[in-house]
Order: sequence, then C-alpha cells, then structure tokens
Amino acid sequence: MTIVSRRTFLAGSTALASTIGAPAIVGAQTPSVKVGLIHPVTGFVAYNGQQNRLGATMAIEDLNKAGGIKSMGGAKLEALLGDSQSKVEVGVSEVEKMNEAGVAAYIGCFQSPVGIAASQAASKYNTPFLIDVGASDLIVTRGLKNTFRLKPGFGVCVDQGIGALGAMNSAAGGPAKTAVIVHESGEFGTGTAKLLSGKLPTIGIEVKEVIPHDNPTRNFDNIALRIRSLQPDLVMMSNYQNEYVLLARTLYQQKVNLAGFYSLLGGGFNYKFAKEMPDVSQYMMDTNHWFNPKSARAQALKKRVEAGGNLFTYEVYLSYSVVELLADALEHAGSADKEKLLAALTASTYKADMLPYAATKFVNGQNEGGRPATLQVIKGDIKVVGPEDVAELKPVFPKPKFK
Amino acid sequence: MSSRVKMLLAIGFLAALAYPLVVPNYLVTVGMLMFFAAFIGQSWNIAGGFAGQTSFGHAVFFGVGAYTSTILHVSYGWNPWLAWPVAMAAGAVVGWVIAVLSFRAGLRGSYFALITLAFAEVFRILANSVPFTHGGLGMLIRADIRPANFQFGNAIWPYYVAFALCLVSLFIAWRLTQSRFGARLVAIRENEDAARALGIDVFAEKVKVLMLSGAMCAAGGTFYAQKYLYIDPNIAFGIDKSVEMLLVAMVGGAGTIFGPLIGAVALTGINELTRWAAAVIPALKNVQPLSLIVYGIMLILIVARLPDGLMSLFGRPSSKAKPRHA
Repeated sequence: MTIVSRRTFLAGSTALASTIGAPAIVGAQTPSVKVGLIHPVTGFVAYNGQQNRLGATMAIEDLNKAGGIKSMGGAKLEALLGDSQSKVEVGVSEVEKMNEAGVAAYIGCFQSPVGIAASQAASKYNTPFLIDVGASDLIVTRGLKNTFRLKPGFGVCVDQGIGALGAMNSAAGGPAKTAVIVHESGEFGTGTAKLLSGKLPTIGIEVKEVIPHDNPTRNFDNIALRIRSLQPDLVMMSNYQNEYVLLARTLYQQKVNLAGFYSLLGGGFNYKFAKEMPDVSQYMMDTNHWFNPKSARAQALKKRVEAGGNLFTYEVYLSYSVVELLADALEHAGSADKEKLLAALTASTYKADMLPYAATKFVNGQNEGGRPATLQVIKGDIKVVGPEDVAELKPVFPKPKFK
Repeated sequence: MSSRVKMLLAIGFLAALAYPLVVPNYLVTVGMLMFFAAFIGQSWNIAGGFAGQTSFGHAVFFGVGAYTSTILHVSYGWNPWLAWPVAMAAGAVVGWVIAVLSFRAGLRGSYFALITLAFAEVFRILANSVPFTHGGLGMLIRADIRPANFQFGNAIWPYYVAFALCLVSLFIAWRLTQSRFGARLVAIRENEDAARALGIDVFAEKVKVLMLSGAMCAAGGTFYAQKYLYIDPNIAFGIDKSVEMLLVAMVGGAGTIFGPLIGAVALTGINELTRWAAAVIPALKNVQPLSLIVYGIMLILIVARLPDGLMSLFGRPSSKAKPRHA
C-alpha cells in the first residue's frame, strides 16, 4: 500500500486544483521566480529596512523590464514582501511563510540577529539566503551552505578602515595619537568596538576609553563631557542613525576640538546627515559600504532614487546589487532549482559594478571581493577619499579646529 | 467545572494536537508562537495576575534561563535537555533574590513593578559587559539538528514542545485555583494587610510565587534559545519581552487560568493577520506599520471596553481565582 504523506497530499491537491481550475491562466502567465524580501520595515530600524526594500524592489522592477531571466525563458522575479518588525521570531516566521509560498531565495535582513536566525531557518529547506545588510561575521562562520553575503563584514571593514586611517595619519605627520570609541551596546557596535580596541594600537593610536551607550539614547551631554575631559585626538563612533547624528551634534554644540571624527560603518553617516547638518558633519569621516562614484549606473540609480524623494543610502544600492547577484546566479543556473541555484551562487563571479568591488568570489558564503570605501563630508556632500582607484578627493585631515 | 466546559476543553486539546498535522509549516510556526507566548504570559500571570505582584521586568527570568542553558551548552558542552532544569533553577534563584530584596524593603505595587524593570536592565547591561556571555556579540548555538540536542528539523516538534509547556502552565494555574497556596496568593492580591492579619506569611508566599514564576519564565528562555539558536542581551533581557508577557496576560485576563492563552491567540493572530494583509493587499502595501496600528487600536479597545480582558467575554467573574481556603 502506498502511503501519501500530508505534504504530498497538499502539494498534489493544490496542483490538481490549479490545473483544473485555471488552465487558461496558467498557460498565459510568464513563469516567475519568487524572491522573499525580509526587512524590518517597522520597529526601531524601520527607516533602514524601508531603504533595503526600496533598493531590492527597484532592482526587481528593472530586471523584469529588461526581460527577466533570459536563460529561464524570460522568467520574471516576483517580490514577496516580509516585515521582520525588528524581531528574530517574526523574521523566522516570515521565512516559514515564504517557504510555503515557494520562494527560490531570500534576501534580508538588515539586523544581524534576525539574519542569523532567518538564514538558519532557510537552511532547513536548503533555500539560498542572500544577506544584503548584516555586519556580524557570525552570519558566515557557521558553515551554512545556503548563506551568502556580498558585502564585506566587520573584519574586513575594520581592517581596511584602520589601514586607511593609519595611512592618512602618517601622511599628515601623525596628529592623532589617542582615541575614544563610542559605540551602541548591541551586537554591531560592540563587535566593532572590540575589533577597534585591538587594532588601533597597531597604527600608533592609544585607546583612552571605550564608551558604550544604549539604543535608543536621546541625550549625549554626559558622554560629550566625558570625551571633552579625556581630550582625545579622535572620536570613533559605531552606532545607528539617530544616536550617530545626536552624538555628532552634541560634540559640535559643545565645540569639542578633535583632529577628526572617524567612524567605521557609522549608521548615521549618509546624505541625510550631510545635507541637513552641513556644519556638524563637515570633515567627518567614515569607512562604510558605498557605491562607486565612477560608476555611471550607480550615478543614474542615485538620480532616480533622489527623484523619488528618497536618499541614496547604502541599504538601497546593497539590496539592489544583491538582487542582481541573485539574477546573475539564476541566469547561470538556468533554473530556480535550489541545488542548481546554490551551486551557481557558490561559483558566482558576478561583478557588482555599482560598488567598489572586485569580481565576486564566495569563500564560506562571504564575498572576498567586497571592500568598503573611506568617505568624508565636504560642504554638505559625501565624497569618496579612498581607496585611491575610486577616490574623488584627497582627505582633509586633521580637520580645522573650532575658533 | 461543568461538563460543557470539559467537553470544550477536550475538543480544544484534540484540535491543538491535530492542528500541525493538517496545516502548512508557516501556520505550525504561528501556532508554536501562540503557545509560547501563552506559556511565558502564564509565567507572568502567576505572579502578576494571581498574586497581584505586577512586574515590568519579567524578561530578567527569560534572559537568565536563555543564558544559563546556552552558556552551559556552548561553553561547557552540556546537553541542552540537561541544562534546561538548571536554567529553571537559575530563574527560581533570581526570583528569590529579587523577591527577598524587594519585599524585605517593603516594595509593593508600582514600586515593585519598577524595581523588576530595573533588575531586567541591570541584567541586560551585565550581559553586555561580562565576557562569559560574549557581551553584545551574543551567543550562537551551533546548528546540530537532532531531537537529542533539543533542535528539531521539523516545525511540528517545537510546536508540540510549546504546546506541552502551555499545558503544564495551565495545569499550574489550575492547581493554584484549587490549592491553599493559590488561595493565599489571591488573598494577598486582594488585600495584603488583611491577608497578614489573617495569619498568612505574606513575605514567604510572595517569595515562593516569584520563584515559581521565575522558573517557568526561565524555561521559556531556554526554549527560545534552542529554537532560534542565537541570543544577545537585547533579545534576552529587552523590555519588549517583558511587555509581551504582560500584554498577553492583561489582554486575555490577568488572574485567570485561560487569560494568557486567549490573549496570546488574539495578539499573535492580529499580528499575523495584519502582516499578511500588509504584504498581500495592494492598497495596504505601503501602510508598513499596519499591524502595529491595528495592534494599538485593539489594545485601546480592550482596555477601554474590557478592562478585565477577553476572558470577561466568557463570564470571567466565575472563572477568576477567588479566595476559597484562606
């Protein structure tokens, strides 16, 4: 006797209903590949999640307009939108829901803890999970075969950021000898601060103090006073949008004189900050995910995003590029079959030309070709000051002192 | 309990048993989340509802449970099933410490609620700072999906574990309504001074109930850690967990046996339905915080129209625990 399992029964009955009920519709439809987009579009990092969603949906629209996945007969990408609500359990619940809907791959999740749990859940179904934003290196050190991250993680960003800072400091005659690190107390800020504390002495900069703060923090007066009393040459910040901007503004208001503000993956270092607070942000520096200013496609996308009343933040072009990575893998796989798609992603050589990256090369799911850029605010605009091959300007360092 | 109620409970039990066998995995996960919320809500309800010791910081027990089992498992190689009772014991110990410190100082009502919030914050900051919790980096549990390792490949098993936890919590709540201990708690809730005048050792009873509540909540923390395989200080000790526990009990009906379960079904259901609507219905796709808006409106309506929670729709006055043997 043949035993029909619950799943087989469900799948069979659904297929039968589809075939009997709507043969004309099925026949007329272009095949589509479902992509699950899981971002925190509500919750305390909702703005970032909405920017991620914007970039990913724009990329899907553009790819579909350009004819879809050609090796799959012009199959269109179909976005399934998920909101993690900034919660791990909701992110995992979205994975389960989208799996039922038959997604070929997931993209997400902005927050590392959600990305860690959601990609783990997706691994049960052997479904590719592409991390667009999520800094923690734990994401790609668990041995999961389904998880891929295009952008560089903590380690690479810190190494390259410290290298850039050391070179700039040496070139300026070594004005920075001490630093204070201010970081948010979550996984992202703590991880960055820990790496910074270990690496700054290697370029001759002593860490005077590491100051954590909560999320959210709505007053930085005491931290600014503490920094003023310590008299460091550098303040290094690692936190999210609101706290980053608030700390910078408080230090500006209290006229704390420094050789420079230098952040690594500064959550608030973006066009919004630079444009809305040109005086506060002037000469602030950051090593972060950024687009290649010499890429015509990136500049065109920037114009479109800004024309829509949005800011061209790193979430937008990282999510956009990750959708392109998936589309490239689908082209090579010629199928949305999970095994074939995973193999195509593992062997991917996709060139993210909007980003300052070399060709993609995944090692344990981490793209070795990814690298951040070093940035500086100049008169309300953000300019790339490193690496040299994509730099627009030379950095202003040390920054002029308050009068 | 009338025979009609018994029959309804039997039908509910059988329906819950059969549910994961007939629905897709996503709905199994939703069911698991409901029972899990009901369980941790019941842990709050036992202290906050039955004994009237309202807490704003029950996440402290949740986090202690999650971290205790995770540290024993990850750092010392313990099997998570064995680490689970130790985590519960740790929750009970923390409950004892908080209770002794707070009740010795005579803290009651809103003062006690605030001190529990402060304890949760202290533990969150400690977990962020000390090396054995890996600070803000959090703790990752390596995926080794075997039931013997308290990790399940199939969504059905976490559902049944959460269901079993919920049943145990319902049994404990029911026992409280039948026992002298429960009656003494209700007496304390209704009038602490009068209870003392009746000869009840108010301090000892309050310490005991916080230990019981802490142990239950810690069990929930371990379950969560093993389900999601990652915890960090914000996840474990964050205020949103405390609010979640408090809300399911208050919305369902604090101080009742089935209040947290009803509240969990209502709140999880609303959340999932509105998220589904926001993702599927074109006109709502740009209304991103829809679920939060509906959630907020529901809360306002329930608090305004049903101050005793949803259980009052089912004749709460007779189902709420009353002093019987004090």
